[in-house]
Amino acid sequence: MATDPTPAVAADDSPAPESADPGTSEPFAEPSTVEPSGPSRPHWAFAALGVLIVLVLGALTRFLEQSVPEWAAGSALADVAAAVEYPVYAIALGLLGGLVISLTRLRDKVSGGFRTEFFIKTGLVLLGASINLSVIARAAGPAIAQALIVVPLVFFFTWWLAGRLGLDEKLRALVSSAVSICGVSAAITAAGAVRARREQLAYTASLVILFALPSIFLLPWLADVFGLSAPVAGAWIGGNIDTTAAVAAAGAIVGEEALQIAAVVKSTQNVLMGLVAVALTAYFTFRVERAPGAKRPGLGALWTRFPKFALGFLLASVVATWYLDVAGESGAAQIGVVTDLRTWFLILAFVSIGLEFRLARLREAGWRPIAVFGGAAVFNLAVALLVASILFRGFEV
Amino acid sequence: MSSETPPDSASKPNAPNAEEAEASDDAATPDEAGRAAVSEDWAAVVVGLVLLALVLIGAIPEGVIP
Repeated sequence: MATDPTPAVAADDSPAPESADPGTSEPFAEPSTVEPSGPSRPHWAFAALGVLIVLVLGALTRFLEQSVPEWAAGSALADVAAAVEYPVYAIALGLLGGLVISLTRLRDKVSGGFRTEFFIKTGLVLLGASINLSVIARAAGPAIAQALIVVPLVFFFTWWLAGRLGLDEKLRALVSSAVSICGVSAAITAAGAVRARREQLAYTASLVILFALPSIFLLPWLADVFGLSAPVAGAWIGGNIDTTAAVAAAGAIVGEEALQIAAVVKSTQNVLMGLVAVALTAYFTFRVERAPGAKRPGLGALWTRFPKFALGFLLASVVATWYLDVAGESGAAQIGVVTDLRTWFLILAFVSIGLEFRLARLREAGWRPIAVFGGAAVFNLAVALLVASILFRGFEV
Repeated sequence: MSSETPPDSASKPNAPNAEEAEASDDAATPDEAGRAAVSEDWAAVVVGLVLLALVLIGAIPEGVIP
């Protein structure tokens, strides 16, 4: 999963060199360089300041989420205020905060504190406690089937489209992984597998966010327009939006049932990330770079790339299901506290998404990668809708 | 890192070492990012499960989380 906006983005704060065009197969005029002690390695105090910024904006999000409906009560905006969920405030405040830290030239220094991956994954482990194990068990079959159908289709479509538009082989692998599996996490994994350039990873991460942000609002709206049931909407969102944080945001906008199914589907897709990473490593080692004497990637590589938080998600569901069986009705209050904690971590992840978004990076690589990503996103939208509608028809949470 | 590149190889036009240096240079950051993602993966599991345990044993009661 997620997600997302990421350690990679956070760690990579220096702009790509002028000569580095990550979007094409043209060779780089000069090697890109990394400052040994520049903004890519922010001092811990600045990273702590970054965390503080995320926490303050998160607290403001929680305050607005709870207060705006009260302020608007009785006015013409009451219905709108009640309908606006916390992901909207969190992302909007994150984008606003990102603008402020850019203007004040603080962004490169504090971005080490924007730990989107950690926030979203912790939120998803806690989300596991809200999902009865039987739901995961029943949803696992269709979720695995959906992942096995949608991920290869989208991956190879993106691979083909990127080839047609002349993208560099490594950027091709990054974009294909990001669109088909789980956004930034997959891009990071693929970047390690194919030894991609730093600016290619940073660029792919920015593309993921560029497409994820509108999807958070577009897909819940389309799910409503299409009259999708909550499980189908959740499966569609989970199988379509790239970055896990955005999946959680869109799922939360649709509702709790959709969020649960979206999380199960996205977690299943994340598990496939290890397989794709191993396949990419083998492909680039033996076909693209033809490294002499290279070893074939084994089970160790698979385990290294396995998303461990999926285990936490499952374990939390097992523990909470057992706890509710033992404690009965009285246990619901404790699970409610876990849900509050989960909401906090998701808010922090959404704020971080907004803070990490950088429009400038997208101008660096031209239109072709954007066209590939856009074409793949539309293809993913259609395929995931078709497959989710079939596999999750009649599913009940 | 550029500082790790041997000066003689980097200064020669079309020297294969310069290109290799570039590749290893740039590959380092995604690898590092990958390791960071893996450790954040485990950190998320630990923090999430510890928080769950604290709530279930009553150490974080209702009303504490705003």
